[in-house]
Amino acid sequence: MSKIIVQRRALLLGGAAMALAPVPAFARDVGKPAPAFSATDSNGKVWSLADLEGKIVVLETSNQDCPYVRKHYNSTNMQTQQREAAAKGVVWLTVASSAPGEQGFVTAAQANELTRKRNAAPTAFLLDPQSRIARAYGATVTPHMYIIDASGVLVYKGGIDSIPSSSVADVPKATQYVRVALDQVLAGKQVTESSTRPYGCSLKYGNNAA
Amino acid sequence: MFRLLALLLAVCLAGPAFAQHSVVKTDNVRAELVSEVSEVKPGEPFWVALRQTIKPHWHTYWKNPGDSGLPTEIAWNLPPGVEAGPIVWPTPTLIDVGGVINYGVQDDVLLLVKITPPADLAGTLALKADANWLVCDDVCIPEEGKFALDLPVGSAAKPADADTRALFDKARRVVPTDSPWPARFGLARSGDPTLVVDARGLKPDTIRSVYFFPAEWGAVASMARQTASVTVEGIRIPLRKGDAKATTAPQSIAGTLVLTEKTGDGEQRQAFDMVASLDPAGVPSAAPLAASNEGESLTLVQALVFALLGGLILNLMPCVFPVLAMKAAAFARLAGHERGAMRRDGIAYTAGVLVAFGAMAAAVIAIRATIGEVSWGFQFQSPIFSLLVAYLFFVVGLTLAGAFEIGGSFTGMGQGLAARSGATGAFFTGVLAVVVATPCTAPFMAAALGFALSQPAPQTVAVLLAMGLGLALPFLALSTTPALQRLMPRPGAWMDRLRQFLAFPMFASAVWMIWVLTQQTGPDGVIYALGGMILIAFAIWLLRLGSAGTLGAWLRRGLAAAAVLLAFAAVVKLEDGPATAASTTGGPSTGVSFDGWERFSRARMTEAAAAGKPVFVDFTAAWCITCLVNERVALETPGTRRAFEQTGTVKLKGDWTNRDPEITSVLKELGRAGVPLYLYWAPGAERPKILPQVLTEAAIVSELQAKR
Repeated sequence: MSKIIVQRRALLLGGAAMALAPVPAFARDVGKPAPAFSATDSNGKVWSLADLEGKIVVLETSNQDCPYVRKHYNSTNMQTQQREAAAKGVVWLTVASSAPGEQGFVTAAQANELTRKRNAAPTAFLLDPQSRIARAYGATVTPHMYIIDASGVLVYKGGIDSIPSSSVADVPKATQYVRVALDQVLAGKQVTESSTRPYGCSLKYGNNAA
Repeated sequence: MFRLLALLLAVCLAGPAFAQHSVVKTDNVRAELVSEVSEVKPGEPFWVALRQTIKPHWHTYWKNPGDSGLPTEIAWNLPPGVEAGPIVWPTPTLIDVGGVINYGVQDDVLLLVKITPPADLAGTLALKADANWLVCDDVCIPEEGKFALDLPVGSAAKPADADTRALFDKARRVVPTDSPWPARFGLARSGDPTLVVDARGLKPDTIRSVYFFPAEWGAVASMARQTASVTVEGIRIPLRKGDAKATTAPQSIAGTLVLTEKTGDGEQRQAFDMVASLDPAGVPSAAPLAASNEGESLTLVQALVFALLGGLILNLMPCVFPVLAMKAAAFARLAGHERGAMRRDGIAYTAGVLVAFGAMAAAVIAIRATIGEVSWGFQFQSPIFSLLVAYLFFVVGLTLAGAFEIGGSFTGMGQGLAARSGATGAFFTGVLAVVVATPCTAPFMAAALGFALSQPAPQTVAVLLAMGLGLALPFLALSTTPALQRLMPRPGAWMDRLRQFLAFPMFASAVWMIWVLTQQTGPDGVIYALGGMILIAFAIWLLRLGSAGTLGAWLRRGLAAAAVLLAFAAVVKLEDGPATAASTTGGPSTGVSFDGWERFSRARMTEAAAAGKPVFVDFTAAWCITCLVNERVALETPGTRRAFEQTGTVKLKGDWTNRDPEITSVLKELGRAGVPLYLYWAPGAERPKILPQVLTEAAIVSELQAKR
């Protein structure tokens, strides 16, 4: 690996040409249009963000074997919030972005079985084996949560709640960031905590990671 | 399930309430609560640690876990009045899990915690703790354990056994020390911070890697690649802002800077805790200068486009512009002549430029094949290069100013050939343009060059040729486009005036190169460079005197040749004193403190050793980070100072910041290529003992006392 050593004398001339340096493609800012995506769900239906204009959308990255995902399913925190959201007309998309062969990768049948077993209620369970959605949103963990408002703007990204632990006992004590943010979006208010620390297992990009 | 059983089993086995320490074994981690003392003195703080022995390739997390994961937590359950401090974390390791960046710890880790017992403690001190951690490789498993450790209370603190103490000693060595350098950061308009560590006097070529681990989530994105630049002025790391939603700019960024330094024998990893404060004036305009060296962040097409643009911009640089303007003036004279001649001229010039860039690419590839690593600007590391370029600028400046006309008597040089008419002349003008352009390339094309250097040979050649094409393009366009030629002003007296005027930017470029030279060699460089220039000017003057063919002419030629030779002899002088010194002052550097130490000399060392005194020799340098750390954690601690005093040790310090033949010869004798080197002569010993490169207070103290 070579290294560029730029000497001080070089800095003296600091150049316009240098404004062209590249930046990583990761991480999306809240307040900006949410990255577009299109993916097939566990029942073969294609979902694309463009078609959901006018609806509030929640994205939840999932890996059923990750202890942090299990924390929120075992405590029924996730399912409860999915049902609350559905009752308010919010589109909740659970996204399995693990690469094939990695923990959390699911086939369509496995996804449906999971939904049944977990008694979950997402609007749809998207299959993202090439991690396209995860990468577009800069997701690093499972569960990593995003909220997109009716005009397609990313208004929340981060953790599901405020206590980063794998203990079910912490769920009632934590501030449920997603629920709070959703209520604010539904009420037409600014989201106060719009970017929080996500916590969980690393997203399993596998070898196709950027 | 099995894991849970194992855990239960382990807890049960370790369970007996009065065990000395408690061990928890899981599938992936063996965890143990250990103490540095076997008996506690009331009121006297001591250290305990949660020791994690982690399965190979697995890791637990640092205080800032990075993009995912969770740090190990310890919840203490202590008797009234006993206090436990926060975890003192070891230096983290960067773990890349498919692009998700984790900050973790691996293998055998001690998480140090200071326990402060009350003054009225009696009986037995029962320490209890619940700890939980997340252990991951590809998958993550949360684990936990209950620990108990009972320590008897006595009138004096009794140290634990030697193995345990060694464990703590080793653990302290990997705890970051407080940074010896101030740090600050500037914010770009995008909100991206650039960290600037004012570590003056470092030797960039000894530093293998630099990474800043932010202490907390939020201010800095851990996912973004860091490409630090290290110069003698310090370290500069452009960072990406983190995801914390802040209404105001952060006032400070805390974290740990980890450097890998190449020392005399091997690589040393050093870590420094620092809190950088916001420098409102420090807008990191130069932030992207250290362009990414990872090919994937810049595609070949992008690199080619940057290279072409960069080449175009080069035309405007003070080092190149005069040459081109000179050529343009000659061109204007040609205007109106046949188009074919002009086109031939332009193509020959382009060919010259491309051949020169091709040669540069070949040199880069050759160097990479033999040495394995190329830093752009490698040619600048050499004071000889700087000196020769300064001479070249000077001579070109003299020609422009009209001090002499390049004629038959001054052949062999690029300028001579460049002044020839026709295609050959044009070709060598192209070569000359590239030669004078090189000093300007590094700052302006770092991104494209960085890409070129990190790529396989074909891409390297393609990028460098694209840059050459950019440089040649304006001229090529002019020579092949009659419409553009019509825009050229008519030849006239203005051409001479312009030419003379252009001498000044050329001289300015020469001054700049001399300044570069002084950065490499110290003030002496000025004498050699300016003296050499006078000799060259003198030679030119001699050659222009009188007529040729006479005896006097031969004498003058001889003298001129001697003068030129002398000017170039400065090169040898510079070679003799290469730029090992970051400090430009010569003599003792300001970076090394001699407080309490005598200056090293071989005579003093042998004399003191012969007198039967214990002698400790510290060979150090201002730019040696490992030396600095050893001084802070081992040599200048109260305990070591006391031991030195009690044993009456003669302390000698050799400063190798600048070249010092005496120290170099000692290093060579001992088979060392560089510093740090520590020698200890036990009282009456015939030869010194070489101490390890990584020192601890305990190691030195035991060394000093063992020989008494």
